[in-house]
Amino acid sequence: MSEKRIGMIEKSNNKRQRVTQDRPEFSINDHHDVLVEILRRLDGPSLCSAACVCRLWSAVARNDSIWEELCFQQVSPRPSLSLRSVVSALGGYRCLYFLCIRPVLARLPKLLWTRDQLQLSLSLYCVHYYERLYVGAWIGDAPPSSLMFLRKPVNVV
Amino acid sequence: MKRDLHQYQGRLPNHGTSSSSSLPVSKDKMMMVKEEEDGGNMDELLAVLGYKVRSSEMAEVALKLEQLETMMGNVQEDGLSQLATDTVHYNPSELYSWLDNMLTELNPPPGAAASNVCLDPILTSPEIVNNNNNSFLTAAGGDSSRIIPASDYDLKVIPGNAIYQQRSQFAIDSSSSSSNNNQNKRLKSCSSPDSMVTSTSTATQIGGVIGTTVMTTTTTTKAAPATAESTRSVILVDSQDNGVRLVHALMACAEAVQQNNLTIAEALVKQIGCLAVSQAGAMRKVATYFAEALARRIYRLSPPQNQIDHSLSDTLQMHFYETCPYLKFAHFTANQAILEAFQGKKRVHVIDFSMNQGLQWPALMQALALREGGPPIFRLTGIGPPAPDNSDQLHEVGCKLAQLAEAIHVEFEYRGFVANSLADLDASMLELRPSEIESVAVNSVFELHKLLGRPGGIEKVLGVVKQIKPVIFTVVEQESNHNGPVFLDRFTESLHYYSTLFDSLEGVPSSQDKVMSEVYLGKQICNLVACEGPDRVERHETLSQWGSRFGSSGFVPAHLGSNAFKQASMLLSVFNSGQGYRVEENNGCLMLGWHTRPLITTSAWKLSAAH
Repeated sequence: MSEKRIGMIEKSNNKRQRVTQDRPEFSINDHHDVLVEILRRLDGPSLCSAACVCRLWSAVARNDSIWEELCFQQVSPRPSLSLRSVVSALGGYRCLYFLCIRPVLARLPKLLWTRDQLQLSLSLYCVHYYERLYVGAWIGDAPPSSLMFLRKPVNVV
Repeated sequence: MKRDLHQYQGRLPNHGTSSSSSLPVSKDKMMMVKEEEDGGNMDELLAVLGYKVRSSEMAEVALKLEQLETMMGNVQEDGLSQLATDTVHYNPSELYSWLDNMLTELNPPPGAAASNVCLDPILTSPEIVNNNNNSFLTAAGGDSSRIIPASDYDLKVIPGNAIYQQRSQFAIDSSSSSSNNNQNKRLKSCSSPDSMVTSTSTATQIGGVIGTTVMTTTTTTKAAPATAESTRSVILVDSQDNGVRLVHALMACAEAVQQNNLTIAEALVKQIGCLAVSQAGAMRKVATYFAEALARRIYRLSPPQNQIDHSLSDTLQMHFYETCPYLKFAHFTANQAILEAFQGKKRVHVIDFSMNQGLQWPALMQALALREGGPPIFRLTGIGPPAPDNSDQLHEVGCKLAQLAEAIHVEFEYRGFVANSLADLDASMLELRPSEIESVAVNSVFELHKLLGRPGGIEKVLGVVKQIKPVIFTVVEQESNHNGPVFLDRFTESLHYYSTLFDSLEGVPSSQDKVMSEVYLGKQICNLVACEGPDRVERHETLSQWGSRFGSSGFVPAHLGSNAFKQASMLLSVFNSGQGYRVEENNGCLMLGWHTRPLITTSAWKLSAAH
């Protein structure tokens, strides 16, 4: 967080004195909504790094709208609002991103990120939610997870 | 001292008094080790050194020693390597017999063929383990330079109480029928030994040969307590050839079964078991399952009925769902077809012939929830077999789906039907509403082929489907003809098919899921090969066969759109980076295959205008 302050200060280097004297100190941590707006514009890896900065930022980063923005960054037109209710019912955008979208993106060329990939990710996510309803009913202790194929490293034969 | 049947030959602790009763049974001629009779007259001088030689045999012993010396001098480079890696397997203090053994070992008489039976890891048949440590057959017509040192090709004694007893020998040999079986036929080796797919060409060429040679040796352990393993060198040519040999043995065994030649089939099946163990990866698993199925067929052991195992097979199918993309492909493509057919409809009804755990429907419900115009009222009728413990599994599945539907705000209605077979269904049971109000889709994933076993089954079901008047009828089936009238053809087809399937599984990291998936496929193999009549439910047929059947019943194909193709391709490229899997379009139907071989097909059908 001090980085931002330093950044602001470094930019107006020659006006350094004036900054500290004339303006009250601005701490981003006091303005969560501004922080959210900033985080919304980040890409995946940067957002994850930002979430590791401190506890406050980590808590703020759990705001699902940030992740929603991330999921739909390159998709246009924007999907309908009903999608939001569906996704939050299934576990939220953050989980969707980590479980489905990020692995899918990693395995497909970036150029192809369209609604189709989104639709596929949503379907897989939905199946995942459904399977979690079955915890404890299977041979072995681990609940079934059809998304394991996305998580495990794959042997390229 | 009575000896039991599992006693090995050759090295007996020398007690001097021996009643050579109950010698092991042997079929053909073999070099009998000369038993020590009531031994007296040991040469005293040699006895001091530890060698027991009878005075009467001294001259012969001397002669043989000379022979052995010359032979060891003459043998080519690798010829003696097996001696280097042996544990002590002969008691050299019994000099006479030891020499005999050594001589015959290094210089086998032509045509010495013992038809010993190999210990089969699969079958625990309590047959006599025949011991013959003298039938060393060299590869390639006696060329001793073909003897390959032990390391990679050892056949270790199979441990286990049921089939291996401490001091028994373990011998494998070719079948006794061919007299020239110390000639190794030069077989074309495959380019990829671990995959059985490429060996098909050779298999079809030499399909009818029985008893292509297997060169192995015997193993002896001198009462090695702890390890109980022996490392006798195996005179094999190459593991590649071994794979080809395995395929040939499978084909030969199937042919023997076809001709009802059960004795030969029995011998071959044991051979297959041994060969399979020497392979690795997919080939080994496929061969093991096929060998087991053949054994069941030969010995008429029927596998457990399908109905009893249905909950187990549900679970296995779940694991199969997770490990590989076939079922996901099936579900996603069928869902896409149904989604497109339901466009604009306000009330929809899906009748699912293959309910299992209802894994197909969450994705469809989610797609319906997010479609333009909002979700329709979604009604699902699931049909499944009765559960063994009388639990209402269909009901539970329905509850979970209802939970999901509530979460994503889709109005949901569910009904479950238990039926032993789809042919027991009737359209009136399904409580269909008039078609202006409700649009119906019928879905069947890997279920229709089970009806082909009963006469009239499939026709009845297709008639019921016609009565239902669905807007779309989605069918997913295996793409292979496993329903021919001739057993051998079915066997060949299924061997290729399941080899390809298992090959595709090889890329998956090992896990319990993978094992369960293999068991799932193994059960299908077992049913296919070992059962007959109404018990044989795995009667797969190809798309063209189904197409003609549907066509003659009044259905016309409905082309799956490009959306389905795109989604399927994407799914596969996410799976294992798409290596190896191929989606093909064939007359409006989508086929998923591994490399060049299509494995499953999704097709959609609607009633022709006349109906």
